[in-house]
Amino acid sequence: MSDPPAIALDNVSKRYGSTTVVQDLTFTVERGEIVGFLGPNGAGKTTTMRMIAGFTTATSGRVTVAGLDMATRHVDAARLIGYVPERPPLYDTLDVRAYLRFAAKVKGVARHAIPGELDRVVAACRLEAVFRLPIFKLSRGYRQRVGLAQALLGTPRVLLLDEPTAGLDPGQIHETRDMIRKFGEDHAVLLSTHILPEATLICRRVAILDHGKLLAIDTPAGLQRSAEQTNRVTLEATAPPSELRDALASVRGVRAVEIHAAPDDHGVLTATCQVEAMDGVAAAIARTVATRWDLHRLERHEPTLENVFLRYVGGEPVRSAWT
Amino acid sequence: MSGVLAVYQKELATYFRSAIAYFVVAVFLLGTGYFFLYNVFLTGDATMAGTFLNMGVLMVTVIPVLSMRLFAAEWSAGTMELLLTVPLSPWHVVLGKYLGAVTILLAIAAGTLIDLVPLYLFGNPATPTILSGYLGFVLLGMACLAIGQLCSALTENQIIAALVTAAALLAFWFVGHLQTFQTSAMARWLSGYLSFALHYADFIQGLVRSEAVVFYAIVSSVALALNAAYLEWQR
Repeated sequence: MSDPPAIALDNVSKRYGSTTVVQDLTFTVERGEIVGFLGPNGAGKTTTMRMIAGFTTATSGRVTVAGLDMATRHVDAARLIGYVPERPPLYDTLDVRAYLRFAAKVKGVARHAIPGELDRVVAACRLEAVFRLPIFKLSRGYRQRVGLAQALLGTPRVLLLDEPTAGLDPGQIHETRDMIRKFGEDHAVLLSTHILPEATLICRRVAILDHGKLLAIDTPAGLQRSAEQTNRVTLEATAPPSELRDALASVRGVRAVEIHAAPDDHGVLTATCQVEAMDGVAAAIARTVATRWDLHRLERHEPTLENVFLRYVGGEPVRSAWT
Repeated sequence: MSGVLAVYQKELATYFRSAIAYFVVAVFLLGTGYFFLYNVFLTGDATMAGTFLNMGVLMVTVIPVLSMRLFAAEWSAGTMELLLTVPLSPWHVVLGKYLGAVTILLAIAAGTLIDLVPLYLFGNPATPTILSGYLGFVLLGMACLAIGQLCSALTENQIIAALVTAAALLAFWFVGHLQTFQTSAMARWLSGYLSFALHYADFIQGLVRSEAVVFYAIVSSVALALNAAYLEWQR
């Protein structure tokens, strides 16, 4: 019999009074997988994380971690979870060493194993320089890393990270991403982030959440493919309209062509092509046009994850990539 | 139990790394010292009875300061998110914190033992009465702390937690005075039974009544149970 998913949500909803914060959420995260959680503020990401971590319970539906139901066996499941909330849960009056010792004890790390565990997470999170400093003296970046070190203590199979790179400098962001990627090789990681390139860089799959509903979950490439309407190539050329239209329509990967001619443009036409999400389409269009007519400008609107995200949550697409 | 012990140790460390424990212990011992001097040397009464009574009133006023941060600080700092997502039940957290606060209470009680030195040097106090008084003091303190800890769990604002605790403790302290206004025997009995001061007075007089011991134990247990239930309900 195969292992149960590391994280499984089955029709999970959370309501506070008459307000539904999360609605009928269903997805799984397998071992060895990093899943990114994207959504605007108030989308329900933090509430979902909290339900998986056991901080709050689902109003309906079922949350399981490694097959353990969070409603009935959250204490057992908690041994398998490392959780870094949006605001790392730190005691300012303790020093880093005392805090991590406390976290190791409450997570059930055996007394004799605590020094080794502390050495491991301190090295992994590069906390050597601040190990004996009181937490209130730490910068935001170090506070974030202490929170992450706490989550890595013990033997978590699942890592829940709510905005783990917020407040870190570029070097720390790079290190943290490497650490998450390494951890995700044989653990399950659910990562909430506002930084879309981060999701593209380290997540195998991305879930888009808005108003408590799961709008899409797929690989970053899969989501981009599904947003083909944002895949456009526009160009300006001096050419006969009907011939230009026929030439563009004949290029492999071009699905539709629109030609616009402004009266005072001296014969310069603007063509907009809807293209399939495949490599080389823009180059093929450029070759086709440039060998026969004057090509003045060509730009490709790539379906970045930003555009996919904005399309799902109802914003304007971002023109961020040019060829 | 290792989880309870870990929370207990953290609680003590937090107390002694902030000014609160030192402040409360200092205020209490200074106040007790003053009342002891007044009761023994000015009135010439070589017993601890008057001092114990003043210690009770003093405790009802300083316990809110001691208990206000127990949970309110965790809520406001976001650290409840750690305590409720580690392999501990709410009972473990409640017990660990309570035992930490009770340890400070015992330290306060131990600090007042110095008052006994002149009493035994220059007088002939009744040791069983003193032991009974201390037992009453600790039981009263434990009940006050349990109520304070419950109030602290209900809010993330420490000032509100302290004010609500003070109101609740003063109500328990003075409810016995309502006895004289009651026409119903049941209401009279109830206001007497709920009175912290009346039960405490028995201990001061050297009476260790099982009813009083059970009363303080019930108040502490109910407050702690409500505390754990509230945390579970908050999930």
